[in-house]
Amino acid sequence: MMKHASVVVIGGGIVGSAIAFSLLKMKTKNVCVIEKSYVSSGSTGRCAGGIRQQWSSPMNVKLAMRSVKLFEEFEKDVGMNIEYYQGGYLLLAYTDSEVDDFEKNVRMQKSQGLDVEILTSNQIKEKFPFINVEDIKLGSWCQSDGHANPQLANIAYAIAIRKMGGEFLTHTTVTGIDVQNRQIIGVQTDNGYISTKIVVDAAGFEAPKIGSMIGVDIPVHGERHQILVTEAVNHFLDPLVINFNHNYYVRQTHHGSLMMGQGDANPASGEDLGNTIEFLEEMSEKMIKDFPLLKNIHIVRQWSGAYDMSPDAQPIIDESKDISRFIYATGFSGHGFMLAPAVGESVAEMIIHGQTVTTDVSNLKMDRFTIGIEREHNVV
Amino acid sequence: MEGRILDHPILNFTRKKRVKIFFEGNEIEAYEGETVAVALHAAGIKVLRYTPINGRSAGLFCAVGKCSSCLMEIDGMPNVRSCMTKVKAGMQIRRQHEKGDLV
Repeated sequence: MMKHASVVVIGGGIVGSAIAFSLLKMKTKNVCVIEKSYVSSGSTGRCAGGIRQQWSSPMNVKLAMRSVKLFEEFEKDVGMNIEYYQGGYLLLAYTDSEVDDFEKNVRMQKSQGLDVEILTSNQIKEKFPFINVEDIKLGSWCQSDGHANPQLANIAYAIAIRKMGGEFLTHTTVTGIDVQNRQIIGVQTDNGYISTKIVVDAAGFEAPKIGSMIGVDIPVHGERHQILVTEAVNHFLDPLVINFNHNYYVRQTHHGSLMMGQGDANPASGEDLGNTIEFLEEMSEKMIKDFPLLKNIHIVRQWSGAYDMSPDAQPIIDESKDISRFIYATGFSGHGFMLAPAVGESVAEMIIHGQTVTTDVSNLKMDRFTIGIEREHNVV
Repeated sequence: MEGRILDHPILNFTRKKRVKIFFEGNEIEAYEGETVAVALHAAGIKVLRYTPINGRSAGLFCAVGKCSSCLMEIDGMPNVRSCMTKVKAGMQIRRQHEKGDLV
């Protein structure tokens, strides 16, 4: 374990790993990641793996588009095939207000240069004859959206970080952060002390715990979301399908299994990673209705993970005003994996240059909560 | 050769009704109450499917519905556990290739 680090990243999930990887790629030396359990043990390892660019604010679209660019280069850049598949994302609209939203979003997304289009119900039927299009008014379709395997991506980053000379500590818990005159001087762990001037809090839904060690308030809480996975069948489903109205998403993994989840009506806290029979019943019922071909497929298992929810369901990426060089990247609200490569790059630029260079993420600063927030609508 | 135990030192087997099932389109005799895997085994059919990636033959392994080794296509449905599914007159049974098609 190194005694001195130029940057300590707390949290070895996809976000912390992407930040550390980007720092190393930009020639920063002595980068240290601290992960309290094993690689991919937290929300990343529980994530469904969707990668989409169809968001409702221009800056989120830009950030996601940058991320897709980096996912396209991932295997070459980071060094592992992570089952990245650009099978598209299909969003389904059932109500007039969804139709209005989709049309408005698609216009805006197109103006940002995204390859997105509106599909009529008939076009959806033609493209995906196995979807029950009853009551569907239209769909929003983006071919360059897709999905990947988050566990592999997390592991790929961890291996690359070590290869590039960074330190990736697992099973190590941060117990305190030393601060003098509002400057960070070091990080205390249960395995020893690391002196550093820069700390990145990428601890997901536990980011507030890290912040509270030095009096920084981070408005994030953990919210439990459940997923089920079926037996594997031959590939038939190209896109990840999101249905906000029926409240679910579904994708087919590289292995052939179908992975699907919903937002529970009264979600448990992120501390409680159990799962419920009600989830299985609710999911099965609606999936059989919208995808009748799934009626005999076996469910193999279910699990849950924590979304790191922010007040407006958008990430919080900023540097603390109170503690110099305390940077946080959290609050991803269920879409951290898909944004991670671009967020890693942006945060690394913030650390090295004091500001982002490639992608503007100023809409994700903390002060938006005091100015007034506009909630991201496109969330399951 | 008959693949069934006809004479057991402790247990008595009472045969139920004889039915016809079809394996790869060919008629096979089975007895009601038997599972598909047992009827096929009795008929000397040991290869039940091919593994999805390497295409190797796979047959009966755990015989209690846990291991996925005996998945077959039965009456058009893939991934059916032949060791847990009882025969029915007229059943169409096929060896499964790959992971099975839903569409």
